[in-house]
Amino acid sequence: MGISIDSPAANAAFAKQIGVTFPLLSDMNKEVLTAYGILKPYDVHGGKYQWARRTTIVVDKDGKIQHVEYDDSAVNPNNAVSICTGLHDKHEK
Amino acid sequence: MKRIVTAIAGLFLLLGLAGQFSAAAQEEAIAKTTLKEGDVAPDFTLTNDKWEQVKLSDFRGKKNVILAFYVLAFTGG
Repeated sequence: MGISIDSPAANAAFAKQIGVTFPLLSDMNKEVLTAYGILKPYDVHGGKYQWARRTTIVVDKDGKIQHVEYDDSAVNPNNAVSICTGLHDKHEK
Repeated sequence: MKRIVTAIAGLFLLLGLAGQFSAAAQEEAIAKTTLKEGDVAPDFTLTNDKWEQVKLSDFRGKKNVILAFYVLAFTGG
């Protein structure tokens, strides 16, 4: 699932544009970003903003965190997908 | 037409942000979660792009979940 501070309407348009098949969740109040400790300050053209740090977290079926990746590493989902698939296979055996 | 304008606007935003991120943002304190492997992921309920409520704990015992936090829609971040 993708998560950002965008509105559901913006996420719907974004989902349509890039053709994602997984849900995009809206954290407009930044509550989840704050709870997860990944609210990051950005300075864009002199404006101060707080958005998500690019982060990928794998959560297993027990609700426990199995993996965390940041920034450029987090942009490529292959590692997280591989770990998630491994968890699935491990559970099935 | 509207979609094209939106796409172009998104591209410019992406290019603009890319330059800024590398310089200014990295000088700021880098946010880093204190959560670590083995910790229970804090539960949440958020609205998805179809205006449905999604609760993380609803996946317990059913599915592994990947949470991909991204900076903004219409950017590459």
